[in-house]
Amino acid sequence: MSDVEDSNQKTPEENEGAEQPSKPSDSTAPAGEKVAKASEGEKPKTADPAATNSSDPTDGAKPPEAADAVAPSKPASAAKPAAAAKPAAGAKAAAAGAERPARAAKAAAPPDPRIEAAKETAEKVKATLVAELGETAVEETGAAHLNPMVRIKRDFWPQAVELLKNHADWQLNYIECMAGTDYPEYIEVVIYIQSTNLGHFICLKTRTPRDRAQIPSIVSIHPGVNWEEREIYDLLGVHFTNHPDLRRIMMWEGFKGHPLRKDYSEWDGGEENGAH
Amino acid sequence: MALTDEAQSIRTEEMILNVGPQHPSTHGVFRLVVKISGETIIEAEPVIGYLHRGTEKLAEDLQYTQIIPYTDRLDYVSAMINNYALCHTVERALDLEIPERAEYLRIITMELQRVASHLLAVGSYLLDLGAMSPFLYVFQERERIVQMFNELCGARLTYNYMRVGGVKWDAPPGWIDQVRDFIPFMRKKLKMYDDLITGNEIFLSRVRGIGVFNTETALAYGLSGINLRSTGFDWDLRKKKPYSIYNRFDFEVPLGKNGDCFDRYILHMQEMEQSLRIVEQAVEQFPSSGPVLGKVPKMVRVPAGEYYSGIEGTRGELGFYIVSEGKDKPYRMKIRKPSFVNLQLLPELLKGQSMANLIAILGAVDIVLGEVDA
Repeated sequence: MSDVEDSNQKTPEENEGAEQPSKPSDSTAPAGEKVAKASEGEKPKTADPAATNSSDPTDGAKPPEAADAVAPSKPASAAKPAAAAKPAAGAKAAAAGAERPARAAKAAAPPDPRIEAAKETAEKVKATLVAELGETAVEETGAAHLNPMVRIKRDFWPQAVELLKNHADWQLNYIECMAGTDYPEYIEVVIYIQSTNLGHFICLKTRTPRDRAQIPSIVSIHPGVNWEEREIYDLLGVHFTNHPDLRRIMMWEGFKGHPLRKDYSEWDGGEENGAH
Repeated sequence: MALTDEAQSIRTEEMILNVGPQHPSTHGVFRLVVKISGETIIEAEPVIGYLHRGTEKLAEDLQYTQIIPYTDRLDYVSAMINNYALCHTVERALDLEIPERAEYLRIITMELQRVASHLLAVGSYLLDLGAMSPFLYVFQERERIVQMFNELCGARLTYNYMRVGGVKWDAPPGWIDQVRDFIPFMRKKLKMYDDLITGNEIFLSRVRGIGVFNTETALAYGLSGINLRSTGFDWDLRKKKPYSIYNRFDFEVPLGKNGDCFDRYILHMQEMEQSLRIVEQAVEQFPSSGPVLGKVPKMVRVPAGEYYSGIEGTRGELGFYIVSEGKDKPYRMKIRKPSFVNLQLLPELLKGQSMANLIAILGAVDIVLGEVDA
């Protein structure tokens, strides 16, 4: 399916979805209505007690703008659903248009305090690591969306993870997510790690070249990443040295190639590849 | 080798036994290669991947809205929550505001889904242990939930209901009343199950003190959800990192004490009660009108960067990690699959156990293979 076709299929549907809500719905009985109103009064938007990330008051300007920009495309696509290609293109342009001013507004606005705080925490993590492992251990600090991000040099990966697990200031003991990503020049492995005592939630990364991709394993420190590392090995072809049981996990033994790599060709090699 | 004296005196031979892939107690296509000596398990090795569909790779060629139906097929008994997990990550990336009515519809559907999923978990667990009737009974209650979802979005299993910025369909007239009526009905049934199962001597002797692990092990293995809470560790993302509008509801997080199979069973029962509490409050607060889909551009483009957020799924932390280049499709999408992570502990739990306990332990870990294999 091509992009255009698909978005056309979506367009009328999505329109319905967007317009429907404007009609008041009768689903609740009058009694229910009263209750709902009363509770609305009681709850004056308790949207965001600091820790949550759902809605952000600093971004109040964005939604109306986006709405304005999208609005013109709506009647067009609703009026002539038959001429499918045009409205879709319109919608695309409108969406792009909607984003640009929003982005500009963001750039002009003062930096998000949550991101600033994340960067600060990342710096502190770096200080801890550098004090123990030397200046070269940390390659980069910053923020991964709203979370502190520290990129660690590959050779120091297990030492750094172990240090942060045992360090009294961090106690990063619970890996929530481990993922690998294939970029054009390198493969990046990232873990999102939590301190269940102190509440830190930090993104740690490391990189390896795509050729002979190799990263020291951290299974001995966090046994829970055993299968995650196997999966990354299977699908992205990163060898985790010192892994106790590095085998394919999703694909079958004898399968060639690593499907999540961007240059993987979709033909599976048929019988040569051991497929049945 | 963990053999009793008595067992050692009888000559046994090590034997390899295949459990699965087509075995009813594996809850799908899951294979377990166990090395046994007599009745005792020496080693167990899970073999997965029979249901691997490459969802993560497929997602790289799909727009965000198009990925939603694929999430239905991960943990196929709690599709609503999977839908939400993806939408939530994208919404956080876009910093979207969700209409009130949509938030409430999401909470109601997600918590009902949790009840449906836990019902099935309990029913199939009892079936694994040899009790046939609970499995058939739970389908009656589950059916009511499924019917309500069917009315809401026209599907019984794969709902494709959530959208980035809200939900696809508004509740039809009378739907909320149906939900309201369902709550006392379900409470009564829960009481019935509690009476029938929880005190059952045979059941208790199968699950008490079986498959025990402690909090330290659970954290080291990255367990989440009921598996982690059964050890008495208070970790529910609805409380710890509140998302959606969970901070508006009054509910408790049930915790276990011993970390055995019985605790994991009883937590399922208690969580259903808590979910009903949330649904009850949500129904009371439900806004009488309003949009169900926020102002979202037709083509959802996530700003360049990487995003991760996890929610409390039925089986643990369900998270989506998205790397975006600012296009309408993700550059990379990784799913943090609770069943996949939880299953890793299984070989450790099975060592030294008898074959009969294998089913009891595997059932209590509560996996769905669609999610394990993704």
